[in-house]
Amino acid sequence: MKFTLDWLSDFVDLTGRDSQEIADALESLGHEVEQMTPIEYPFTGVVIGRVLEVGSHPNADKVRLCRVDIGDEESEIICGAWNFEAGAVVPVAVPGAVLGGDFEITRRTIRGVVSNGMICSEQELQLGEESAGIMVLDDEFPEAIDRVGQSLTVLLPEGDVIYDVAITPNRPDAMSVLGLARDLAALYDVPLRTPAIELEEHHPETTATVTILDAEACPRFAGREVRGIEVGPSPLWMRRRLAAAGVRPISNVVDASNYAMIELGHPTHAFDLDRLGDTVIVRRADAGETVVTLDGQDRDLLPGDIVVADATEPVALAGIMGGLETEVHDDTTRLLIEAAYWDPPSILLTSKRLGLRSEASARFERGMDPSFCALAADRVAQLLVQIAGGRAMAGPVDAYPAVIEPLEIPFPIAEVPRHLGIELDAAEVTSLLERLGFAVAGEDPLLVTIPTRRPDVRRSIDLVEEVGRLHGYDSIPTHVATGQGGGIPAPLRRMRRLRSVMVGAGYHEVVTFSFIGGADMDGLGLPETDARRATIAVTNPLRDEEGVMRTTLLPGLLKAAALNVSRRVLDVALFETGRVFLPGAGKLPEQPTHLGFIRTGRVGVDWEGGGREVDVRDATGLWEVIATDLGINERLRRPAATPEFHPGRAAEVLVAGTAVGVVGEIHPRVAAAFGLTGRVIAGEIETDVLTMDRAPFQLSAPSNFPPAVFDLAFELDAAVPAADVLAAIDDAGADPLETVTIFDVFTGPPLAAGRKSIAVNVTLRAHDRTLTDEEAREVRKRIADRVAAATGGAVRGEV
Amino acid sequence: MSEPHLDLSEVIAVGQSAGEEIAAAGTLEELTALRERLIGRDSAIARARRGLGDLPADQRPAAGKTISAVADAVTVQLEERRTELAAHAELATLRRDATDVSLPGRRPERGSFHAINQVMDEMIDIFVSIGYAVADGPEAETEFYNFTALNMPPTHPARLETDTLYLEYGDRAEEILLRTHTSPMQARYMEEHDPPVHVVVPGRVFRRDPLDATHSPVFHQMEGLAVAEGVTFADLKGTLFYFAKEFFGPATKVKFLPDYFPFTEPSAQMLVWTNDRWLELLGCGMVNPAVFEHVGYDPDIVTGFAFGMGADRMAMVRHGVDNLRLLLEPDVRVLRQFR
Repeated sequence: MKFTLDWLSDFVDLTGRDSQEIADALESLGHEVEQMTPIEYPFTGVVIGRVLEVGSHPNADKVRLCRVDIGDEESEIICGAWNFEAGAVVPVAVPGAVLGGDFEITRRTIRGVVSNGMICSEQELQLGEESAGIMVLDDEFPEAIDRVGQSLTVLLPEGDVIYDVAITPNRPDAMSVLGLARDLAALYDVPLRTPAIELEEHHPETTATVTILDAEACPRFAGREVRGIEVGPSPLWMRRRLAAAGVRPISNVVDASNYAMIELGHPTHAFDLDRLGDTVIVRRADAGETVVTLDGQDRDLLPGDIVVADATEPVALAGIMGGLETEVHDDTTRLLIEAAYWDPPSILLTSKRLGLRSEASARFERGMDPSFCALAADRVAQLLVQIAGGRAMAGPVDAYPAVIEPLEIPFPIAEVPRHLGIELDAAEVTSLLERLGFAVAGEDPLLVTIPTRRPDVRRSIDLVEEVGRLHGYDSIPTHVATGQGGGIPAPLRRMRRLRSVMVGAGYHEVVTFSFIGGADMDGLGLPETDARRATIAVTNPLRDEEGVMRTTLLPGLLKAAALNVSRRVLDVALFETGRVFLPGAGKLPEQPTHLGFIRTGRVGVDWEGGGREVDVRDATGLWEVIATDLGINERLRRPAATPEFHPGRAAEVLVAGTAVGVVGEIHPRVAAAFGLTGRVIAGEIETDVLTMDRAPFQLSAPSNFPPAVFDLAFELDAAVPAADVLAAIDDAGADPLETVTIFDVFTGPPLAAGRKSIAVNVTLRAHDRTLTDEEAREVRKRIADRVAAATGGAVRGEV
Repeated sequence: MSEPHLDLSEVIAVGQSAGEEIAAAGTLEELTALRERLIGRDSAIARARRGLGDLPADQRPAAGKTISAVADAVTVQLEERRTELAAHAELATLRRDATDVSLPGRRPERGSFHAINQVMDEMIDIFVSIGYAVADGPEAETEFYNFTALNMPPTHPARLETDTLYLEYGDRAEEILLRTHTSPMQARYMEEHDPPVHVVVPGRVFRRDPLDATHSPVFHQMEGLAVAEGVTFADLKGTLFYFAKEFFGPATKVKFLPDYFPFTEPSAQMLVWTNDRWLELLGCGMVNPAVFEHVGYDPDIVTGFAFGMGADRMAMVRHGVDNLRLLLEPDVRVLRQFR
């Protein structure tokens, strides 16, 4: 909400307080000042002048030669405007004046006559938009006649600023200059200058009547008939205040309503009473009814919508927007100013449904003050009398079938220290609440009467807030509230460790969105039957590409990698941990956390010529590091058969016999679909089982006896996985085995086609003695036999 | 037969010239040869020693002394020179092995933790250090926990589809949505734990805001909740002030201004003084009694405070990021800077 300091000062004495102090005060009351803009007049050297004589220019018909009193001298000035005569008080830019920052006024000769300056229009001074004629000051600034020769700025507010304040949604009463003035008056403990709204009532009495058919929809409808208005521009002061408030001045009738709303808060609407007719009905819409709103739109109404209707059909969307049919025109002679209280939830639902948000609806949906309706209508009437030559007619129109009574709340004083941690006595609490306009009776508990303008105050806790707010949050002491301990939970601790492993392995952590597009599933090449196709749709996504919840982290990672490659950043290693969303049996979707990673480009590149393209073994090796670190057997895996991965270069990884994810090379077709070329490795692993708390490892002392070390090479069918060889060695009972390491794998001559060789290095070491050669030979034979039996492999060379 | 002859002058001459000869030896090999010549088996010194026995007994001590003195002096000089030459030789060997140490080293590749998660981890650690538990909650949440249990009426604008992302899930008897804050865990946690409760809830949250410089449909929050008998606004201020000092440094200045949230009353925002201005950092307040009633706590007995802080915003403040999109960019050139 925007307004000027000058306007605020109409309602509270702010003398001696600078604009920053007032901004700080507003913020301390909970009204955040988003911006504070000083008002500067974009001219210098403009003085108040009085036109003494208007004569014709000897050589020109379209301009006149004026003799102007500018204080200590008289000046001859040529002027092209015709909206004034001798005696007018006008702004004069004297030679040397500068307008708009860079337009300097000089003595100029126009058709042989010297003009000593310029008589200015509003637009030339950037005070308003009026440019048809020069500014005539007499009407609006009667004091100007006594200030001839002085700077024009003496007539304008000095040191004024525009505040832009964000009003929290619980404070509809503060959505006005008066409302904010009330809070400031309470803070400074000075009186609020409540505006005097007095009308001279003219006769005959109004013949308009209001009937409210649904008192819940509209507990109160007040109005005032105004006749005889002349539609025209508003005076400068009103236009300037409206412009500062960000409201474009339109005409006196519209401006008066907007002005009163900003000033007092309560929105009003003006009907052309002749078009509306004297019978005004307030009701809910019937199914199938429509109304054409001011913006020319034909609106379909639903039964919950509240409307103002004439005898037969709706003419306005209550509280949101007036109707085109009953709009005020230049030839309107009878106006009905409406100020009603509309049911806030109804206004909210209708305005949101129709996508029609107005200043009025924003206020009504939060709740206006029902006790203020009649005054709000009369304030607009008063302004129309003042600026549009209107006459307020006798007999207020006021239907109030469901009187909203002020709430009374018992308020134990002890609630203040219990919630705020400060001790205040009954007198202090009473004083704070009374300054805010609450009526307080009794001692303890206090009995507090809540004005109807404060729908946010419903319980004693709301009064605690009022006390705290006005007393000042700064005055509350500080104390650290410590908890009972507990530390980092094991799953979080292990998740951090998992992330550390990834970072240590050279991967950068990314944060990608939780939604993906349905098309991403096609990119992954998933068949219709794939479980990851069973996505949960977002009802109201921002974009189609974000239309479903992710069931896999891979699309986000593939797109992230592709973004880098498209920017010629070719070596990319990324990971993410985050939830995926899967249909489940419970009320909520299953939301397990996954670890996903992706890598493309080269690894180990250096100036010595090192470096190679990333491949599947970087993926399986990463899994081995992860598994080892988290105390999981890293060898348990089998070839993966999942469409987004390369059919021969990916492994499913297992924990305690259950598959928990896949690591390997992305299928080249899938990589291409996401804009990637070359080998791309990736992995996606469920983390719940990884981050499960595990029994601490138990340490065993290494043996210091000499080891027995030997190599064994097996020739076997090329299809036998190396893991089978290792498993067979594990099963061979090769005590006391210390380590087994594969150190060579090859195919081709001298081996026959379809055969391969796997060579292992075995270290045996006993805890209690040096092994004899015979013992080592015996173990070597046991291993050879076991591998042969399990895999059909034969030892190459001598056993 | 002639008198036994022992010519010491040769020994003395060796003693006089050895110093120069030793200094002239340029390599260890030369020095070894010289050593043989000076004190080896066929050297004048060795020969003189062998001749000592032939001398009359009364002359032996004096002659022996002379020979030993020369021999010792030569030996010491040889040893000193040997040490010198060995050091030179070693240095020469190592010099041949020299390389340009300014060339890039062979380094293990290292990735990075995302700045938002770094901030989140640090925020968690600060609260854990003062005894808060850490809880985790669902990102797809029921409308009840996200709104109703938090005292947000059915007509609250945040519930509208313009603001909140809803999911097509279940029988729609109760709407399932993407939580708009980590606050739902307040209610869930209190349902499962009796007071006193001190807990923080880090997590991902969602709003229907298109991605721009300051908004993202996905962002990260940490919720905090402290409920016990006697918890006051002073505890709220003190605890968050402690957090701000831990996070931003001991000289950090904060202030609290009134604000509004449906689930706290009174509500506040905390601002920190940074880059020569007050910056809104987080929303907080005393838990609204209506929230206690939803979870079965007696608001006449317990009080509490709650707060919610944005990790993305904290990361932006801390790392001088003025565009949220940059922080979320998965560009390796950005990620590498997350140290």
